[in-house]
Amino acid sequence: MSQPQGGSPPPSSTTSPDGRATEFRPVSGGGQMQSGELLLVEAYAAMWLIAFALILFSWSRVRKVDDRLAALEGAMQKARAGGDKPASPRAE
Amino acid sequence: MAPARSVAEDAPAAGAPAAGAAVAATRAGQSDTRNAVFLVLLALTAACCIGTVQMIAFHAPVESTMGVVQKIFYFHVPSAYAMYLGATVCFVGSAAYLYKGTAYWDAFAKAGAEVAVAMGVMVCISGPLWAAKAWGVYWTWDPRLTTSMLSLLVYVAYVVLRAFSGNGESERKFAAALGILGAANLPIIHYSVKKWGGNHPTVITGNGGGITPDMRTVLMMGFLTFTLLTVVFVWQRLRVELASRRLEDAEHEALAMGITEE
Repeated sequence: MSQPQGGSPPPSSTTSPDGRATEFRPVSGGGQMQSGELLLVEAYAAMWLIAFALILFSWSRVRKVDDRLAALEGAMQKARAGGDKPASPRAE
Repeated sequence: MAPARSVAEDAPAAGAPAAGAAVAATRAGQSDTRNAVFLVLLALTAACCIGTVQMIAFHAPVESTMGVVQKIFYFHVPSAYAMYLGATVCFVGSAAYLYKGTAYWDAFAKAGAEVAVAMGVMVCISGPLWAAKAWGVYWTWDPRLTTSMLSLLVYVAYVVLRAFSGNGESERKFAAALGILGAANLPIIHYSVKKWGGNHPTVITGNGGGITPDMRTVLMMGFLTFTLLTVVFVWQRLRVELASRRLEDAEHEALAMGITEE
């Protein structure tokens, strides 16, 4: 960027409210301006989200399978005890 | 190799209700004990998780150049280690399945692969978030990053294969081969930084200044927590898998007995 000749540079137009409305100026090293706190919180949130999702998913799947299995095994025991007469379990 | 056996092959034969009831009672007792142990383990894991978060927040010092974002390190590294654990479980299960051919080891391998994927995703999310601040970019094709991503993709492939290709013996054998092949990448991840350099920090395994005792304490706590989390996850996933297979066997048995659903 060229510096204006003779004395101090003129005030940036973006520092005034009118200037901000008409001009956007990038700064170098924008990547360094990311908030470390925000990144930390995002990383934590993602980690716990994955962990809890896995636990909840497994837990609900186990419950569904166990319920269905119990219904099915109950029906089979009933059928065995009652002889050859087929039963119709309400598994769901 | 022995042929694949059913999970429920020890189930009582039809026509022996008394013996069946005894076996069922024994199984119920074992199940209660297992549930109690699991709940204790879960409580311990939850306590360690809370303790680790608290230590990271209040005990671990803020790093001088990176600032607070360096604290991602305390669960990024343990989650990478947990991915290794999951992958090792998958390797052991796969090798044992190929040797013994029992459905239990196949389920064990599958549970390990699922945990490796979950932990690998944590690594591949937390690492780039740290890198965004430390390196100014989310991702670079650094040897360790690349090999870690490759490893994650191998286990994703394993899980996808198991989810969509059925549960036949050939699919199980193919998955077991993949589980063994996937483990071959683990030492490559570990030694990639030493062999090929790259940007990835080596504060634990390198020869630099390492970390301070305060940081080491928190990191060790992180390792403990993630070890427990891995055990809980593998246990839970194994339970899901075994229960699903028992259900499958029971459904076949019920159909053979003429029991139908309404």
